[in-house]
Amino acid sequence: MGYVNRRNRTIAGVFLLPTAAVLFLTTIYPMLYALYLSFRNYDLAKPFIPRIFVGLANFQEVLTSGPFLHSMLITFKLMGVTLFFQFVIGVGLALLVTQRLPGMAAIRTLLLIPMMISPVIVGLVWLFIYFPELGYFNYFIGLIGINPIPWITSTQWALTAIAIADIWQWTPFVMMGTAAALQSLSPEPYEAARIDGNSNIDVFLHVTLPQLKPVLISLLFLRAIDAFKIYDIIFVLTKGGPGDATETIALYIYRQSFTFWRMGVGAAASFVSLIIISVLITLFFKSMQKSAAAR
Amino acid sequence: MASVSLTNVVKAFGAFKVVHGVDLDIADGEFVVLLGPSGCGKTTTLRMVAGLEDVNGGEIRIAGEVINDRAPKDRKIAMVFQNYALYPHMTVRQNMEFALKPQRLSKAEVDAKIAGVAAMLGLDVLLHRKPAQLSGGQRQRVAMGRAMVRTPEVFLFDEPLSNLDAKLRTQVRMEIAKLHKQLGTTVIYVTHDQVEAMTLADKIVIMKDGHIEQIGSPEEVFARPKNLFVATFIGSPSMNLFRMTAERGDTGTVLSSPAFSLLLPVELGAKLKPGQAVTLGVRPSDVRLAQAGDADAIEARVEVVEYLGVEALVDLRIGTQEFIAQIPASERPALDQAVKVVFNPAGLHLFDSESGQAL
Amino acid sequence: MNRLSTRQATLVYSVTGIILIIFMIPIYLILASSLKPSADMFSRPPTVFFTPTLQHYVDLFTLRPFHWNIINSLIVTLGSTVFSVTIGALGAFALSRIRHPRINDAAFWILSMRMFPPIAVVVPYYIIFKSVGLLDTPLALIIVYSTANIPLTVWLMKGFFDEVPEALEEAAQVDGYGIVEIFYRITLPLAAPGLAVCAVFCFIFSWNEFLFALMLTGSSAQTATVAVMSFWSSDAVQWGRIMAGSFIILIPGVIFVLTCQKWLVKGLTLGSVK
Ligand SMILES: Nc1ncnc2c1ncn2[C@@H]1O[C@H](COP(=O)(O)OP(=O)(O)OP(=O)(O)O)[C@@H](O)[C@H]1O
Ligand SMILES: [Mg+2]
Repeated sequence: MGYVNRRNRTIAGVFLLPTAAVLFLTTIYPMLYALYLSFRNYDLAKPFIPRIFVGLANFQEVLTSGPFLHSMLITFKLMGVTLFFQFVIGVGLALLVTQRLPGMAAIRTLLLIPMMISPVIVGLVWLFIYFPELGYFNYFIGLIGINPIPWITSTQWALTAIAIADIWQWTPFVMMGTAAALQSLSPEPYEAARIDGNSNIDVFLHVTLPQLKPVLISLLFLRAIDAFKIYDIIFVLTKGGPGDATETIALYIYRQSFTFWRMGVGAAASFVSLIIISVLITLFFKSMQKSAAAR
Repeated sequence: MASVSLTNVVKAFGAFKVVHGVDLDIADGEFVVLLGPSGCGKTTTLRMVAGLEDVNGGEIRIAGEVINDRAPKDRKIAMVFQNYALYPHMTVRQNMEFALKPQRLSKAEVDAKIAGVAAMLGLDVLLHRKPAQLSGGQRQRVAMGRAMVRTPEVFLFDEPLSNLDAKLRTQVRMEIAKLHKQLGTTVIYVTHDQVEAMTLADKIVIMKDGHIEQIGSPEEVFARPKNLFVATFIGSPSMNLFRMTAERGDTGTVLSSPAFSLLLPVELGAKLKPGQAVTLGVRPSDVRLAQAGDADAIEARVEVVEYLGVEALVDLRIGTQEFIAQIPASERPALDQAVKVVFNPAGLHLFDSESGQAL
Repeated sequence: MNRLSTRQATLVYSVTGIILIIFMIPIYLILASSLKPSADMFSRPPTVFFTPTLQHYVDLFTLRPFHWNIINSLIVTLGSTVFSVTIGALGAFALSRIRHPRINDAAFWILSMRMFPPIAVVVPYYIIFKSVGLLDTPLALIIVYSTANIPLTVWLMKGFFDEVPEALEEAAQVDGYGIVEIFYRITLPLAAPGLAVCAVFCFIFSWNEFLFALMLTGSSAQTATVAVMSFWSSDAVQWGRIMAGSFIILIPGVIFVLTCQKWLVKGLTLGSVK
């Protein structure tokens, strides 16, 4: 065997092996364990029932019972609403903060702060804002004559309240990604359009947007993957309630596993969600490879 | 110092063969240039000698020992890379020290070596700078210095001048020639610049598509190209080619084509059979304007005249046959004129039209 | 992009300004409430000018052992950062240098591990850690956070290593250095900015994390995020204290944003935006 070949093996052995081993032990193994659990009757609330193999019963319960499907609906509803507003506001903001005006860079930096705040803190501060009776939100809308809204205590408003908090935290992400992409665009097409006398809206729709498309698609998948996992903010604001009004898939898994201690069912639900998110991840990678190839 | 020899060396990347059985013997102290068009496998061959690519077949020897499976560091080589590969986070001195460190010399020895090489290459004042603070020419020199401090048995160069401007290139080229004389180390040098090859090499190896087309001294490959590829690759402007048929005439063998015919000198004519299809090669410098009394002059039309100062290149045409003459600028004809030219009998090259091999 | 007229500029400034204010309100509330006397906390109309007090911060460290929570957070955060960056940088180097048609798939595959929902593996972690006695220890969180931090480091560092010319390593190889030495003497120093970026991302992620910290720690390894959340239930909603804790927790993230904005794009978009 040649030296270069030997060397490549050394690289694989010395450098890749630790990563592979650690990831196997800390990620693959727990996932396989989750798979194992999902076929068992693993119920911590009933410690004396043997943890027997139950076949696909857990999966059957998850996929045919109402609560899981309901949580799926809530997850996608929340995803749709938050992504819509995050992209509309985020792209709009990006167009504003990339204007060459003094102070814009500082404004852009400040706007990035929400992203870096721990989601549990985000949850807490919005809880403070929404707080029944005392919260600032109702006080301020009261000033303009709107009746107090039961933000987190009514099934009607709770999901909106969560969406607002999530939009607040993650709109900056869309703004940041879009602004970075905007600034890397070459100025020539704009100059050409200006010479041709196209309107600003025309330029945005036909020059800017097509060039931003690959980046926007990547950002969209990244946000979708995150939105699918949303957990902490809901945990703080509503714990999935009132009732099951804000029970997303993550909260469903949490409740099954740690409220009802039905680990087997929780694991089965986890697996279903892993499969769904794998699709999103694959789409994200595809979009990334596509835009890398186009570059 | 050491000899290097390659025996039937083969390299493939996956299923894609890029070097097909190369045989090459390099004597101790020889300056060998690998020359060929882009993608012909020069770099790959050099990297196999360096140990940066595995050899898929055949043997490479340095100083008689097979080194196919040895690590680069055990081959007693030093290499100058095309983009110099200077460590950007180290000063010039640190670059050289780093190259010497594996040899485990004493501090005094290291300092002496660096001082010696720095003096030879004029690097003294640059020793404390980092690569980013050097000009292209200086970087190139540092790269050579870093290779030289290691006092290897064989130097490997991969297009070391390709990143320099034309003037600097000439200057550094001469310096390399001088250094080689001084040090006497074996050199394998890759380039696709034929001027570099002609001026530097003791021996030129001309490659194409992973095969060696010819090995020889600069004079040999220029004066006696082994085949049509070498004939047209070496020399600028390229050799003129004429497709002809051999015929027996009254006074000897005659080459003829629809455009013109030409009586061959006896020794050349003897190599041909009547009816044989041959390609006649004549370098532009072997084409001159006919003077009064020249027998066998060929009439052609002047299409383009390129004035180069001392010389002029004249594009000529006979029917559909085009060719170039390189003549003193003072003799250059006017455009669109008919002129008579003759070929220097010593500058006629004959190739088999089918195989392309020299006859 | 064309220059704006004064009128357009005014419009851009006012719209951006309003949005900025809206976005800054929650952050202002955290800071203001953490300094407001409890009595003023919900006074209507809200007091804008009040005598700031550090009482909540003092309470945090006297009535509550918040410093222990911070120490726990730091142990977990630094432990996971060092571990992840070390292991991840090694893996990234391999992925960057091994020539193999499927090496990109391997990189994507590793990155994908970061994207799976943490809740999906919390159950197995809980059971595994319980059985080996790691529940409520910093080590458990170090391990768990590494599952997110290593893939991120591998992915980002691969990009940085890809930019170090391989010829440098080949030169060192010809000079007589082995691969390990080349890695830490040539490649790693040249990719040092990347290491810093990865370290900061690992730090922020681990520092901010809540879900695993909540599930896998009890009282002794409780991190700052979990502690702040616990003030909500245990202290009869001491908003001042919650906000003071929150403010302390958000400091590293804010420093990061203010100092290394350039890296933020690359890290958070996983390189999909240049
Ligand atoms: N790592 C590799 N994998 C696959 N093919 C390669 C690799 N390296 C080189 N090749 C191919 O091998 C052939 C020879 O390459 P090589 O670099 O030796 O050419 P070269 O003669 O040095 O050309 P140039 O003058 O352009 O430097 C080329 O067709 C090239 O595409
Ligand atoms: Mg080459």
